[in-house]
Amino acid sequence: MFKRILILLLFSVVLLNAIEESKIEKVMSVKVKKVLQILKNKSYSQRQKNKKAIKIMDSVFDYQTMAKISLGKYWKKLTKTEKKQFSKAFEKKIKHSYVDKLKLYNNQAVIIKGIKKIKSNRITLTNKIIGNHETYKVVYLFYKKKKNNQWYIYDVHLAGVSIIQTYRKQFSEFLKTKSFKQLLKSL
Amino acid sequence: MKNILFIIMFFILQGCTTKHTYPASEKIKKVSINTQDSNHALKKDTIENNLETSEFEDEFEDETKETSDPLSTYNRMITSFNDTIITYALNPVSKAYAYIVPRPIRTGVGNAIHNIQFPIRFVNNLLQGKFQNVSDETERFIVNSTVGLAGFLDPAKEYMQIPAHNEDFGQTLGYYGVNPGFHIVLPFFGPSNIRDLAGLTIDGYLSPLVNVRSLEKYKLSKNLTQTTAIIAGYFINKNSLHLGEYENLKKDALDLYPFLRDIYEQKRVADIEK
Repeated sequence: MFKRILILLLFSVVLLNAIEESKIEKVMSVKVKKVLQILKNKSYSQRQKNKKAIKIMDSVFDYQTMAKISLGKYWKKLTKTEKKQFSKAFEKKIKHSYVDKLKLYNNQAVIIKGIKKIKSNRITLTNKIIGNHETYKVVYLFYKKKKNNQWYIYDVHLAGVSIIQTYRKQFSEFLKTKSFKQLLKSL
Repeated sequence: MKNILFIIMFFILQGCTTKHTYPASEKIKKVSINTQDSNHALKKDTIENNLETSEFEDEFEDETKETSDPLSTYNRMITSFNDTIITYALNPVSKAYAYIVPRPIRTGVGNAIHNIQFPIRFVNNLLQGKFQNVSDETERFIVNSTVGLAGFLDPAKEYMQIPAHNEDFGQTLGYYGVNPGFHIVLPFFGPSNIRDLAGLTIDGYLSPLVNVRSLEKYKLSKNLTQTTAIIAGYFINKNSLHLGEYENLKKDALDLYPFLRDIYEQKRVADIEK
């Protein structure tokens, strides 16, 4: 009897998580579909496409957290206004880079391979972009924000390369020889 | 966070005013309790925030860690050499080639070159004990070499859904725990490291497209001139299918050499884990 309740309990917990997780997958697949539709629409100019695509993806990206992680230990050294300035500049840079990548889109199919729960507050969603030749793996990394229990993207892995890790390394190396102001400028 | 700060400010200010106008001690007490409460909330919030931050910090590699890079001066030089070659030689040639040769043919050429490199993938999958991949690769080679017109087409992927499994000897070494060693940028070939350079050499023995003395019998390429021509053709063909990607990637770099180095090393780690 006790065993059965335990199993039932376990099952319900799993189920509870599953609903939460499947929501991410659903939301993301809708978003990806929408972006692809926009990219395929020939009546839009590139600029319109960029704007629309960003609008769709904006709500799931946590740019501030991305900015914070990308700066690593240096973040704590910044004043409040500097933090704000940096977050803003970084957000712009990320968006710009994302929009730039959209230009390369050439009718590739995107398949959502599913999500994986890494731990209680981390989930990854894997996409496959199928080109004529190669297949690329794109992994979105989500974390659960404690404040509102919502899931946000804090990093994206493109073909095994972490965007935020790459920025961390670059910023840290830049700041070894140059000032924070110069970094802001070069973003 | 900001809201809480405002609330505290508000209470503090209110506290000040109440102090002056109404000296009733009860009210002051109430106000101070409120401040304490929000102070407490603030503290809890920062603690949670710090926890979140440290969790992220643990997840990512230490960004201040020095990567051992004794060849960095040389590497930088070769990186800018390669950059010039790509921009002023490879790209214009690939563009002209792409203009003349239709895309399906270029894709076919790419497929055929990939197909003939089968021994590399076969041996390295086998060495890593990835037997499903070995069988997939073998099936792919048989189907694509025959039905696929010497590998020009890829019916194995298109109709039979058999994926390719790229493995090279650098990955095999990595699989058995060999460290990458220093980063080294090769002229024309781009980023590599000591381990992958060794891997590239071994794969050269396995590839039918690279000439090796005394192994000419088994090779399609009989001498260095032929090998060079094949490799140049391979690069041009491949680049013609990926025009603009290098420039696009380059825009994300603050400093090109360390950027390309980190991307390469990260990608190799991911390839080995696969």
